[in-house]
Amino acid sequence: MIKFSNVSLIYPNSTTTVIEDLNLDIAEGELVLVIGPTGSGKSSLLRLINGLVPHHTGGILAGDISVDGISTATVKPGALAHLIGIVGQNPANGFVADTVEEELVFGMEALNLSNDTMRKRVEEVLDLMSLSQLRSRAIATLSGGEQQRVAIASALVAHPKVLVLDEPTSALDPIAAEEVLSILHRLVHDLSLTVVIAEHKLERVIQFADRIVHINGAGNAVVGTPEEILMNSPIAPPIVELARALGLKEIGTSVREMRRMTSQLRGSLELSTPKAAMTSTNSVVSINDLSISYNGKSALNSISATIYENEIVAIMGRNGAGKSSLLRAIAGVSENSFGDVIVNGINTQKLHSKSRRENVGFIPQEPSDLLYGQSVTNECDQADQDNQVSPGTTFSLLSQLVPGVSGNTHPRDLSEGQRLGLALSVVLSANPRLLVLDEPTRGLDYQAKRVLTKMLIDFARVFNRSVIIATHDVELVAELATRTIFIADGEIVADGPTIDVLLSSPAFAPQVSKIMAPQPWLTVADVVRAIEGDK
Amino acid sequence: MKKLTFHPLTWWIFSLALATAVARVNSPWFALLAVGVMSAIVFTQRENAPWGRSFNWTLKLALWIITIRAVIGVLIGVPIPGTVLFRVPILPLPHWVPGIRIGGAVTLERLSSSVSEGTVICAMIVIFGAAASLTSPHRLLRVLPIYLYEFGVSVVIATSVLPQLVSSVSRIRMAQRLRGQKTRGLQAFKRIAIPLLEESLARSLDLAAAMDARGYGISKKRSRYRPIKWAGLDVAVITAGFLVAGLS
Repeated sequence: MIKFSNVSLIYPNSTTTVIEDLNLDIAEGELVLVIGPTGSGKSSLLRLINGLVPHHTGGILAGDISVDGISTATVKPGALAHLIGIVGQNPANGFVADTVEEELVFGMEALNLSNDTMRKRVEEVLDLMSLSQLRSRAIATLSGGEQQRVAIASALVAHPKVLVLDEPTSALDPIAAEEVLSILHRLVHDLSLTVVIAEHKLERVIQFADRIVHINGAGNAVVGTPEEILMNSPIAPPIVELARALGLKEIGTSVREMRRMTSQLRGSLELSTPKAAMTSTNSVVSINDLSISYNGKSALNSISATIYENEIVAIMGRNGAGKSSLLRAIAGVSENSFGDVIVNGINTQKLHSKSRRENVGFIPQEPSDLLYGQSVTNECDQADQDNQVSPGTTFSLLSQLVPGVSGNTHPRDLSEGQRLGLALSVVLSANPRLLVLDEPTRGLDYQAKRVLTKMLIDFARVFNRSVIIATHDVELVAELATRTIFIADGEIVADGPTIDVLLSSPAFAPQVSKIMAPQPWLTVADVVRAIEGDK
Repeated sequence: MKKLTFHPLTWWIFSLALATAVARVNSPWFALLAVGVMSAIVFTQRENAPWGRSFNWTLKLALWIITIRAVIGVLIGVPIPGTVLFRVPILPLPHWVPGIRIGGAVTLERLSSSVSEGTVICAMIVIFGAAASLTSPHRLLRVLPIYLYEFGVSVVIATSVLPQLVSSVSRIRMAQRLRGQKTRGLQAFKRIAIPLLEESLARSLDLAAAMDARGYGISKKRSRYRPIKWAGLDVAVITAGFLVAGLS
């Protein structure tokens, strides 16, 4: 269906090849996963399929790509619209109309399909994507998962033979992600649709993939089955890490397979009990009766909590549950909040300039919102100056976090992980009492996530600081958080040690704990420690 | 109150008729009545969408125009004799600008004539502003002739990008506040403008790529999903509009 023959790609004004001499043949009805570190060219590979690269972006393309026998070099991307549906990294940026139904027909109207055909296809796709309840809703009012489904639906109405998705689940909570992936799985099996996905959160998609394309960052790509690729790949989900740690000969890609492989091992272990973690009694943050409402609709309903020194608190919940609202209110920049948040004895609404930087550090969902300098050095110097620390402090912090960033780079040209690193160094140069992060792992690969995890744990333990982190990433929470607060519909539904909260909810349980259940282990490190302790 | 659906051209035609009537009657009281009627319709029938919310801005704009017009009309221009309310010092002007006077006695007649002229003009603005906020630009686009389509699409993109831009500004300002930076002044403007510009560029490129990938502009002809039809309610509204215009 899709054939890459000797494809190489170089962007203008760049000296490195994004893709070098790639040969790939994707058959009809195959689900192919593209993996690789951030900035390795996954998105470029996806956009090569329908010719957006290089038709839209510029760049030099060698070799040939053909889809269903049509070479992408000879036609514009639009001429392939009936053949290839593509869903971008941020579907909200690609919406043209304001209601769901109008969005669905936009592509069909452009292709001049007859009215009868359009009617039929709209109904079909609304049912297929379970969107019929939402048909006349304004797109702006939908949640992230719903928007993702609308974007997929509007790609599907043209009856394409190929569907290309760039990080379809990165912004979704585990439940919404599962919904989207199970729909894709069904499309592949029922309609023999060919699907190409790029995704960082392998633990979510790995069990659905038929083959994996691994781009290693230097332009080389390896193609193979998930088992072949993941056996030795540096990019591996926890499920594979577990297989490696336990010394299994094969690796499994689903919880079911892994449970079968480990049944003997699990049977030989005694049920362990989790030991209570040490907690400090020095409170850093106290949230008293916090409520937020927007236009009369309540987003948070009188929330109270106390957060102590050394604690890393994860805030979880579905898309739209009020996590971001809570974080903004904690930082004291929410205009619609009632009740108060005290950090280090000061009401956060009264914080400003230096005292704000020293008490609350905040990393927003788009770390680049914090940055405005023209180069990395520029940004670091500004931070040194703002916080009256010796020149170079911020830059050396950055070098520890993400080594090898050149000072002359423009922040925009950094990879996702590097940009987060820069924003973090700027915020941490003030050494805040409380660090708040909103969805920091969107678009981060495993390597960058490991660095982030280690850094946050050091920050909380060594400097006696507190961290609050809102995230959908269950695996990150398992590795990082000492305590988890679960929010639903603006209220706290669970608040306790991470291990208790995660294990009590199957949808939010990490893979390792599903495999090792009923053992109370969340991460590969937990398992290794427990087994070695046993011996 | 229940929201009714109208043909996207209904309120535009009604507004045109009402504006004609306001111009022909030329009475501030009639103009105020028309504004009252349109406001009542807007506040009960508008959708909770960017164009629906734009009516408040229209009202504010109209009030500004009346105020500025009244101030300028009172200060500059030909004096109308009558009851003197108060006096402003006269600004001496060179002899080569005869017939114009700045300052002087402010009479009740001068003030009321300025305000009533302003009211009539602003009523027109409000009436058309109401039509704009009662009609989704996207639906309007679909009943426009095909040769206006390209133009219409750019309008639609602008209307969908603007509210996003507003939300981006507030998001970036919030982030800057969180970094402990000031959010007012020239420096702050630069700090907000740079990330904003980058983001809106990236967003427009995304949108263009998405439209391109979905076959926009490939076929010269476009089909129409759910052609919008005129209903009895539309006819009633338009007839009412013409009656008012005819009787005025």
